[in-house]
Amino acid sequence: MKKLLFVFFVLGCFSVNSALAQNRTITGKVTASDDGLPLPQVSINIKGTQIGVASDVDGNYSIEVPSTATVLVYRFLGYITREIAIGNQTSINVFLDPDVTALQEVLVVGFGTQSKRNLTDNIAKLDAKQLKDLPTAGFQNAFAGQTAGVSIQQTNGKVDGATRVRVRGVSSISSSTEPLYVIDGVPITNNNESTNGAAVNPLLSINPNDIQSVQVLKDASSAAIYGARGSNGVILITTKRGESGRAKITLNLSNGMSRETNRRDWLNRAEYIELFREANANSGGSDADIEGDFDFLAGNTDWRTGEVDTDWQDLVFVDGYNRNSDVSISGGDDNTRFFFSGGYTDIRGIIRGNDLERISSRMNIDHKFNDKLSVGMGLSISRSTIDRLSNDNAFATPLQAIAQSPLSPAYNADGTPNPNTLYYNFLIEDEDASYLTSVWRTLANVNLKYSVLPSLDFISEAGYDLFSQSEDRFWGRSTETGESVGGQGFVSSVRTENLNLNNYLNYGKDLAADHYLEVTAGFNYQTSARKYQSVTGTNFASDDLQTLASAGTITAGTSDLTEFAFLSYFGRANYAFRDKYLVKLSARYDGSSRFGANNRYGFFPAASVGWIVSQEEFLSGINKLSFLKLRASYGETGNAEIGNFASLGLFGTEAYRGEPGLKPTQLGNEDLKWERTNQLDIGVEFGFLENKISGEIDYYSKETNDLLLAQPLPSNSGFTSILKNVGSLTNKGFEFLLNTKNINTNNFTWGTSLNFFTNKNEVTKLPGGDIISGRNIVREGESLASFYIVEFGGVDQANGDALFVKNTENPDGSIDRSTTNDFSEASRIIAGQAFPKWEGGITNSFTYNNFDLGFTFQFVNGHSIYNSGGRFQAASGDFYDNQDVNELNRWQNPGDVTDVPQARLFGGNGTQHSTRYLQEASYVRLRTVTLGYNVPQSTVDKIGMSRVRVYFSGFNLLTFTDYTGYDPESTADFNSGFSNNIALGQAFYSAPQAKTYTFGINLEF
Amino acid sequence: MKNNIKSLLVLIGITAFTVGCQDALDIKPAQSLSIDQALSTPANVQAILLGAYDDAGQTGSYGGNLNLASELLGTTNEVDWQGTFLQPRQFFQKNITIDNSFVGGSWTNAYQIINLANVVIENSSIFTDADEKDRVEGEAQFLRGMAYFDLARFFGSTYVAGQVNSQLAVPLSLEAILSTEGHDFAVPRNTVEEVYAQAVTDLESAAGKLPDSNSYLATSNAANALLARVYLQMGNFVAARDKANSVISSGDFSLTTSYADAFNNGSNSSEDIFAWQVTDQDGTNGMNTYWATRTYGGRGDIPVQLAFRNTFDAADERGDFYYTQSNGTFSLKWQNQFANVIYIRLAEMYLIRAEANFRLNTSIGATPTADINRIRNRAGLTGLLNDFDPILNPITLQDILDERKKELAFEGHLLHDIKRLGLTAGGKNFNDPLLVFPIPQAELDANPNLVQNTGYNN
Repeated sequence: MKKLLFVFFVLGCFSVNSALAQNRTITGKVTASDDGLPLPQVSINIKGTQIGVASDVDGNYSIEVPSTATVLVYRFLGYITREIAIGNQTSINVFLDPDVTALQEVLVVGFGTQSKRNLTDNIAKLDAKQLKDLPTAGFQNAFAGQTAGVSIQQTNGKVDGATRVRVRGVSSISSSTEPLYVIDGVPITNNNESTNGAAVNPLLSINPNDIQSVQVLKDASSAAIYGARGSNGVILITTKRGESGRAKITLNLSNGMSRETNRRDWLNRAEYIELFREANANSGGSDADIEGDFDFLAGNTDWRTGEVDTDWQDLVFVDGYNRNSDVSISGGDDNTRFFFSGGYTDIRGIIRGNDLERISSRMNIDHKFNDKLSVGMGLSISRSTIDRLSNDNAFATPLQAIAQSPLSPAYNADGTPNPNTLYYNFLIEDEDASYLTSVWRTLANVNLKYSVLPSLDFISEAGYDLFSQSEDRFWGRSTETGESVGGQGFVSSVRTENLNLNNYLNYGKDLAADHYLEVTAGFNYQTSARKYQSVTGTNFASDDLQTLASAGTITAGTSDLTEFAFLSYFGRANYAFRDKYLVKLSARYDGSSRFGANNRYGFFPAASVGWIVSQEEFLSGINKLSFLKLRASYGETGNAEIGNFASLGLFGTEAYRGEPGLKPTQLGNEDLKWERTNQLDIGVEFGFLENKISGEIDYYSKETNDLLLAQPLPSNSGFTSILKNVGSLTNKGFEFLLNTKNINTNNFTWGTSLNFFTNKNEVTKLPGGDIISGRNIVREGESLASFYIVEFGGVDQANGDALFVKNTENPDGSIDRSTTNDFSEASRIIAGQAFPKWEGGITNSFTYNNFDLGFTFQFVNGHSIYNSGGRFQAASGDFYDNQDVNELNRWQNPGDVTDVPQARLFGGNGTQHSTRYLQEASYVRLRTVTLGYNVPQSTVDKIGMSRVRVYFSGFNLLTFTDYTGYDPESTADFNSGFSNNIALGQAFYSAPQAKTYTFGINLEF
Repeated sequence: MKNNIKSLLVLIGITAFTVGCQDALDIKPAQSLSIDQALSTPANVQAILLGAYDDAGQTGSYGGNLNLASELLGTTNEVDWQGTFLQPRQFFQKNITIDNSFVGGSWTNAYQIINLANVVIENSSIFTDADEKDRVEGEAQFLRGMAYFDLARFFGSTYVAGQVNSQLAVPLSLEAILSTEGHDFAVPRNTVEEVYAQAVTDLESAAGKLPDSNSYLATSNAANALLARVYLQMGNFVAARDKANSVISSGDFSLTTSYADAFNNGSNSSEDIFAWQVTDQDGTNGMNTYWATRTYGGRGDIPVQLAFRNTFDAADERGDFYYTQSNGTFSLKWQNQFANVIYIRLAEMYLIRAEANFRLNTSIGATPTADINRIRNRAGLTGLLNDFDPILNPITLQDILDERKKELAFEGHLLHDIKRLGLTAGGKNFNDPLLVFPIPQAELDANPNLVQNTGYNN
């Protein structure tokens, strides 16, 4: 009976289905979610059947589905397969997400490409999707939280600030630690050309929307082909190129607003008066003394009545915005492809008077003459203009206004800035001075590829990079600088021309069954010439005439020229046996004008091996394991950023009352050469459950020797130092990358990407002994640029004196931990490190029907920041600077337990450099969040477009930290020069980062 | 075959280009000369000499900071410090830390001057004209002697006349250094006696070699004037008197008509025996930086206290040589940011001669009274001391010293006079170790044979 019932049930079901069994047609379009391009040749199958079609060149498809069909499966190589429930839809438009772990992925390596699957290198990659919608000018911000082993730090909240990128730690003490940037095969100029002491990011001239991918060569195996310039990592940037097919126009418009990530609390009028009356009394001053001081600060106003209570901080921060418009047209046929773009970016910073505008354009064209010969060219031009500010160490920089007294009016009654403030009023500078920096960059490259044999290509690439920066500064008569000289003007202009030529052969062939060999060999010649000129003038006819033509006196003018050249030979061989045993050898022989006469050429070899274990038969039974590769590499790279003429003993010129003078500027050392890094990398790549879970784990160990150090000399030599290749340091760490596809249903997907990396830096050899620069030290056995400072010991409960821990060595070798109120009795200790111990990020991406949501948390842990301004900002009333509100917790009466010493005007009570102003600055930050909505395809079609997406994105929206300064990512911009690797991790009236909310729309025709 | 030929051509092309590039690695600097070039001509060696003047005139030493240190370390109630720079503040508070960069800078700068002087002296044979050679050597010795004198004054404790001053000063370096090869710089400090002796030797030799007239550069009078200052500091009043007298009697200098005329001059005044040259194009008036207000290109850091201003008589022009702004009252001496920085002017010679004559009870050149009155008259104090009765109301040493202080205020003499005269500075006795500079941290680090001064911890 049961059986019978079952048969009826089945029959019943069947008959019901049969009753509805009618075929229908479903149409739609498949596009890539990352760039919105249509995807041709996507296979679309009815799940559980053999029935299927492929999308056409525009991504459109049409499929007849029987009524029994419930789910359509969309498959495309390199993209994540999606299944979509049919329901009763007749039009289904689908976005496919690129499979970021796709092993079929092809990576750009130096002078060629290679499949990710067979790669034995460690390379990190960012694609166009991760680079778009950035509210910052520099594309490097996209690295934050996204790439294992690549750290980034935006100096602070000024829009033009340098962005320091560190690949696997810092491998130099005195030379630049910036990676080598290569755009479409051309190593580009990356010079900080700012004249005000605060570095400007030279790459803000690159429009991130023109970038197709960014790849970071991290290990020796990948970077050795860049030889003497590979130690800091190499960043290969590939710009977008056209694809054959119908021309496509994309338009991206966005509009955002920004504010500072954080404010601090300062004393208001009443609190200021209270604290300073007390500080004055404690120092033995009379009421009349301090009231006289208050009168001075208050100017023509009466501080007693409270008519003035200036919140200076509020005058510094303004509502910022960012506006972006980008348009690109791309397309082509089988022989010719093109990509044109134009971009406009307008950013107003969060600090008063700080703006940036960039206009850029790019044109890339590829043409294939015949099967043997193809050519390509790329040309981009950009202009950025920046309204800049003084560096953080100037009264004129806006944020130094927090030092002003709340008793001082910011403006006079007539609306002009009050000139009689404690310090120079930055509002005068804001109104009567200007500082315009303009950056032009033209990048042009042409390439030719000729197939000598089917397996042998000759490639010739010529590149030209013209980097030009001008600065126009003017200080009117009311400004600090212009006041005594009748106004002052300064103009400078620098032009760096960089020519690069690569000629090489690529050979790739299956030599025999199971043997595949690829060989690359060639040479590279690069020459770069930088010319700088500037003029300074004073005594201007009028504040309205600001060019130097109106200067009554020309007080300074200069021009200089500097050049360098590299001549290099390189080679690489990749060998694969049975598609699972991989070997790679590469080398470069680098000559440079920078190296000393005795060491003009260097040799940089690397070797790596890989084993695709999952190909082995003994693992074929393990279904859950989709991919497993082990790899190891070892090799040598160099850092040639040692200055152009560092090896020579030189005399420079000076003038004395207009007569020429000569002075020795440096001692010679003919042995001087590159810094040398040997790096070991061991990695494993894995994928489980059809690569639903995939990842990479790497361990690296970098040892850098021959570090260029200014060996201190006793000054009685007439010199303070001589450069020698003497130091050593190591960087070691783990990198961990995990991508998971958590949910992948027909209308909901959820993917997670996690990266985590550590770096332990240790200085291992320092023959000249400790190098101390301000509060940082380089010392054998310690992390580079560790904080070296006296330990603050709190407050003496009996008298309110600041105390310091002695930390001196007792005769028995133990450390004296007792405290003293005499600063000079205390020894400095290593009190923290400037670089993070570990960092990472986690990105979650969701799609739900037409909505997409993604957010990235970045975490940075283990670094400290020394607030050099602390000794003015939290100075126990030492001077008239306004104080942090925490100073109200000062010691007042015997027995008070507090860590804020008694307030003493001019008492210097605990204002020495000590750990009182040092803090760990670990943080977790919601770096980006993006919520997008794709307008339904039917609607989009009606208005004649192919894609419309609207989105909201946020940047730096949330920050979690115990650090009480402005921002755990903000440090002093006057320390942001590219070769400063020591005076780091210090904040000095440094602006917090911007927090940005952006609304945008992506249109595609 | 055809393809092979093409490959060959490509390879030949590559090779040809490569060979052509070899020379491209030989790039010479465009702004600098090699050492050989720099020493190859008399004009270049003369330029090195000017480089030494330029080094000496920098803010880090004679352009400002040495005077600043003397005035702030020496002050009791003459001036205040209200600036934000911590290095001068430490001078003012007489609580210098060993990493004070002004102290370190003055040490470094002094040895740069000395090394340039050594280079010039060792290469003076390139001048074929004997007078030229003498002049160049003399100028170099003038600068070297000056640098050693100040190194000894600041880094060594007080020179005491009439004894061997075996307290430590600084290392003596008399060789030209342009390469580290064959040199050991980790040498111990020489004594105050030895360093003073070197200064005297250099300056005496310079006085003999230098011409009487040498534009704004060192002359025999400049060397003699500086010797007068050195001998006064050493308590050798006979030599101080004679040197001062020789400068005065040379007739090459005269007091400016008014006191104000002696200051803020873009080119040397009739009174300037030697001054550091500043124009709006080169040189920096480092005194202006701290002593003048923002209105005049400075920072307005050092107001003059009322207590000091009150020591002047009403008619004394020097007592009225101030200007007042909202942040205080400032000396007019350093108002012009493009003026030369005075080093030695004639008034000092009169004051030295007066003091030395008084102490020796002589009247070489003139009586102390005459010399003092000359100074007072110029300051508008006509007649006040003219009536001195040498019997009933004789001029006292204190009168001379008071006059010296008023005349030479804020010109860098305060600390050294306190030490020489056994006075006090802000409650600290003249021989307090904290009135001596510490040996800079960087020097101790680089040279294990240096010993730190008393009163400072490493």
